[in-house]
Amino acid sequence: MSRPFTVIVAGRDAPLWLAAAALARGLAPSGVQVEAVELPSALASVDAHATFPALEALHNQLRIDETMLLRATGGNLTLGRNFTDLAGAWPAFLHAYGSAGTQIGGRDFFAHWVKARAHGLGVPLDDFSLTAAAARQGRLMLPDAENAIYGRCDYGYHLPAIPYARLLRAAAIGHGATAHAAEQLTVERAGDAIVALDLGAGRRLAADLFVDAGGVLGGAHLSWRAHFPVDRVLTAAGPPFANIPVYAEDRAGPTGWTALHPGRPATFVVHAWSSAHATDEEALRAAGAAAGLPLAGVRIAAVEPGRPARPWTGNCVTLGAVFDPVHGLDLLGLQVGLVQLLADFPATAHFAAERDEYNRAAGAALDRLRDFQSAHYALARYAGPFWDAARAGTVSPDLAHAVALFRARAELAPFEEENLPPDSWRALFLGHGVEPESWPPAIDRVPPEEAKAQFRRMLGFVREQVLRQPTQEAYLAGLADG
Amino acid sequence: MQPRSNPSPAPLRVVIVGGGTAGWMCAAGLARLLPPTDYALTLIESDEIGTVGVGEATLPHIREFNAMLGLDEAEFMRATQGSFKLGIEFVGWDKPGGRYVHPFGSFGERWGGIDFQHHWLRARAAGQDVGDWFDHSFAVAMCREGVFDLPDEDLRSIRSTFSYAYHFDAGLYAEYLRRWATPRGVRRIEGKIVDIARNAESGLVESVALQSGAAIAGDLFIDCSGFRSLLLGQSMGVAWHDWSAWLPCDRAMAVPCAGAAGITPFTRSTAQAGGWTWRIPLQHRTGNGYVFSSSFCSEEQARETILGAIDGAPLADPRLLRFQAGRRARGWEGNVVAIGLSSGFLEPLESTSIFLIQAAVTDLANLMPLPGGGPPDPRLAAEFNRLFAIHYDRTRDFLVLHYTANARHGEPLWDHVRNMALPDSLAHKIALFRSSGRAPDYKLGLFSRDSWLAVLMGQGILPEAHDRLADRAPLDEVADRLAELRERIATNAAALPAHAEFIASYCSAARGTADDRAVTA
Repeated sequence: MSRPFTVIVAGRDAPLWLAAAALARGLAPSGVQVEAVELPSALASVDAHATFPALEALHNQLRIDETMLLRATGGNLTLGRNFTDLAGAWPAFLHAYGSAGTQIGGRDFFAHWVKARAHGLGVPLDDFSLTAAAARQGRLMLPDAENAIYGRCDYGYHLPAIPYARLLRAAAIGHGATAHAAEQLTVERAGDAIVALDLGAGRRLAADLFVDAGGVLGGAHLSWRAHFPVDRVLTAAGPPFANIPVYAEDRAGPTGWTALHPGRPATFVVHAWSSAHATDEEALRAAGAAAGLPLAGVRIAAVEPGRPARPWTGNCVTLGAVFDPVHGLDLLGLQVGLVQLLADFPATAHFAAERDEYNRAAGAALDRLRDFQSAHYALARYAGPFWDAARAGTVSPDLAHAVALFRARAELAPFEEENLPPDSWRALFLGHGVEPESWPPAIDRVPPEEAKAQFRRMLGFVREQVLRQPTQEAYLAGLADG
Repeated sequence: MQPRSNPSPAPLRVVIVGGGTAGWMCAAGLARLLPPTDYALTLIESDEIGTVGVGEATLPHIREFNAMLGLDEAEFMRATQGSFKLGIEFVGWDKPGGRYVHPFGSFGERWGGIDFQHHWLRARAAGQDVGDWFDHSFAVAMCREGVFDLPDEDLRSIRSTFSYAYHFDAGLYAEYLRRWATPRGVRRIEGKIVDIARNAESGLVESVALQSGAAIAGDLFIDCSGFRSLLLGQSMGVAWHDWSAWLPCDRAMAVPCAGAAGITPFTRSTAQAGGWTWRIPLQHRTGNGYVFSSSFCSEEQARETILGAIDGAPLADPRLLRFQAGRRARGWEGNVVAIGLSSGFLEPLESTSIFLIQAAVTDLANLMPLPGGGPPDPRLAAEFNRLFAIHYDRTRDFLVLHYTANARHGEPLWDHVRNMALPDSLAHKIALFRSSGRAPDYKLGLFSRDSWLAVLMGQGILPEAHDRLADRAPLDEVADRLAELRERIATNAAALPAHAEFIASYCSAARGTADDRAVTA
């Protein structure tokens, strides 16, 4: 081989370093050269990442140990996200990151629960979920051999963004990426392809493939505006809670919503709204009132949700998408693109087929994540002009079908490029009041007494397991001692 | 949440129109999956109407179906004259004189989290001795040795790396399922359908009239009437998607012959000038047939070819079947669900017809209307139809792959299919494999990555490069591991019993009869 295949990753902060670290970890041992072009950080101390459970698998590949991660970043665990209505008209619901119930007679627990509920069972689905039950009790739910036989006990993190980016930067360099700091970039193009990046001060970097980990290399944006009402986002920090809650909370108000992400250094607050219904000043007041906390370090930015129209164009791959801020999907979207890029990484300099495959798979995966968020707005019952506009938003045919089928039969339509577990979809649909009207008739072969006995056994197991679990404080204190 | 409005409505009347493999798989599957108090299952069939019964070879999925019913494997095989199937041998498909096996099993092992073919391709490109691709499959080695044994339960063993299906007499299988289903609540009515009564307003089918004058009313009708598609096609008029531009074969000439010695544990498919011939070994005979295109081969030529291809005395006159590749736009319309040949047809090249029946039965059981719920819910039909299209379309692409990549130059049919425009979805899969050795790997529908690898490699499509992630492993180590794997496969395959011997000891139809007599006595 004459010259090594070179890939340049450009961007800033966690997305840049996550991408550079994953590419270097995967490909540097195969002789691929990974260069990271680092633009000035856009982070402030009020920024934090609320992450989905899938990130843990990527950290494992990058040899990022969880204890080290939490120590280095001052981060903590989160079991999910609780959605509440500030007007109190609609009940709160928890989107927990674990699964609910165990199979009965070889069939999913969920259908049995739907049936039991139709026959008067008053026990909510959450009581059958180790993760949700623990969250309700203010405890964590850490997976172990004992609870693994029952179900999935996943969790995400709240990671202060500045130290997290620093840690990922070290990991990327440790895995063989070369860092190049730049104040700004000029992209040199020849037709569809990027030839080189000019970093200023006479520095010019050429590569075979360019990876855009932050929308810094240009390219057509496919707007998701029709699905989402939010166009302004405020970030701020409130004082930390004395006892750090084990989940985030999203509070719906008449002109937008306010999310509280409990952290160790601070409570990280995000407020999102539409400029059609509130000015920045009004939004700031609404955020303070909704959070019930004094807010410091307030920053306001515009958000234009969408994804790259063709994620891989010419020799440039744009990872991730600009998501609506409501579920904190940014890093998951980036990770999905990154995993797909490693799967379709060019085998030679002629990579049209790999590009087509990446665009097919990554495009579908991003649209599926978008649909999850879109469902949150399309189905929400909250009052106010913001939510009226949200309900009027566009719903994709796939999402409309998924909602219709769930309502008709308590089933989730399987899709090829799916990155969220069924439990997440169920929590979202049920939480917004989509009530299944029937269930697969096969479960009617199980005698009701048998199902009831199984329910009792599950509830007992969940109660017992929750009591074994630590609070967030106890867990974090244990890390500090170790 | 709405509890059902009527706490104990009358059972939903499900009428299955047509027996045969589709009708009885449907009847048995629904009888097993649905609660008997809520569904009244009726099957109408006529002894006057023959069944197609070409589906004598299956895919491993059939074992899940049989297990779901709780069938005893040995007993079922005795009753259906069954033999084991480890894959399909394709003779002359890639080029005249060529042959390869599409096995029901994996190729190699995933080393370092990387798909096996990339290690093999890399070592090959580096000039190492990597042997033949097909030497890295245990199931292929079993086919070559003509041996069979059940897969080892120890997943670390090379003897666990395969699956299997059956060859059986589809007519006997339908009978076997009939004997299973009728005592379990399926009402069988003998009769020929002469009319279909639909509601003038709703368009739903209300009843079917029999020649005897009886009318059989129902809430849901399952069309298992075969090619005629009495309800979905003829009555409901659901459009047909014609796929003959990609799959030009439209006739089959079938003939059974006396079995040869040394029953093979695989189906054989041999390319011929106007199509291909199949050979399916059962315990008591061998099933044969010639699938051909009437545009490229006359019926007389076909008869000559098939009679020349068989390796035993013919047991009947060759029988002609006519068909067209394609599927209905929807499998479920109103209160009619088509299952089997009434919903679509794909030539038996990869033994997919019984799987397509099985998938439809499973999906229908899940999406079945409830008793007392009024007309079938279009939301449920929409999901059935979405899955139906995925199953058919993905299977189609896999079949077309066999034709497009051939080096049978100078034969009009083969020149035609080599040059035809492909479905975009297939062209993309082939381009990706050629460019980087990546094989399709999807969750929904047939076929698995290993199956795609078998036919892509078998048809002589050799990737130009491999996944760079494979370059991490030291090259010498890879070559050594490949050699060790081939050795392990060959040694283990040679130690297994001959297929005929295994059948004799496990499920011999001849011996089974004697045993049954002994038990009865």
